[in-house]
Amino acid sequence: MLHKRKLNILAWLLGVLFGFLMSRAGATTYDLHAKMFLWEDFQLMIVISVAVLVGMAGIWWMQQNGLHSLGTGAPIQFPRKPWQKGLLLGAFLFGIGWAMTASCPGTVPAMLGEGKLPALFVLIGIILGTLAYGVLQDAIQCLRRDG
Amino acid sequence: MQIDYWPAWLGGLGIGLFVLLHFWLIGRPAGCSTGYGHICALACRRLKFFHSGEYRDVNNTRLWFLLGIPFGGLLSALLSADPWHWNFSMGMYDAVLPQTATGKALWLIFGGMLLGFGARLAGACTTGHALVGGAMLNPPSLVAGAVFFTSAMAMTWLLFKV
Repeated sequence: MLHKRKLNILAWLLGVLFGFLMSRAGATTYDLHAKMFLWEDFQLMIVISVAVLVGMAGIWWMQQNGLHSLGTGAPIQFPRKPWQKGLLLGAFLFGIGWAMTASCPGTVPAMLGEGKLPALFVLIGIILGTLAYGVLQDAIQCLRRDG
Repeated sequence: MQIDYWPAWLGGLGIGLFVLLHFWLIGRPAGCSTGYGHICALACRRLKFFHSGEYRDVNNTRLWFLLGIPFGGLLSALLSADPWHWNFSMGMYDAVLPQTATGKALWLIFGGMLLGFGARLAGACTTGHALVGGAMLNPPSLVAGAVFFTSAMAMTWLLFKV
């Protein structure tokens, strides 16, 4: 079991690795997004397919063997994202944003590190959009309490 | 900035192994978009939503993970043949996006807002739903991933072909 600060440092290092891999996989190269959606190039399609298959096999193996986490010392958790209200609308809006910016929340910070200035504006947008969701949730809570 | 990217199978293998490494080291799934909620919490103390529930503790692995990503991008760029430099170009997209710098910036901010708001409404982004959720064969994640992809494809066709 690692101290919280060490766990955070480990997460930071994993972030560095993730940014590097996203970049080297081609996920931070704008044209590869357009070409994937226009069916002209399959780089990113193969990347995600291979990654999902490798992940699937590894997760199955980890679950079979009840592997414990190095960082927490506890059994690894495999929580599944639930069906939530708005999932379809949210996913639809997300896709539009993906097409408009050729990036997603995981690649934007990596693009920024590469010196891609468009990512700075997308980053501002993502923070504003996330903020808007929080404000909306707070407003809904307020209305529930008062009504 | 021209990145010397790897063959697709190698990139996929690397990211797949990353997903597993994250599970093993941190003990739970990797995710990107949740980290932005913690950034919102740091930016706005009065926002209750990003200070409660799963967001209660701001100083956590999701935030630090997100803060590490730019350095990985920087490293990859420095190791590419093309020397590191700031640039505002977006390749093929430059022909279809607004032609003025202000117009382009506003377009990107708006697109980013759809990414941020959409990810929260859907519960996760491409990483949490498509990559990790897909690897766990989680039905809501598979549906979300399919919708991400379909709507992005439709919008890209509208941009480039209409």
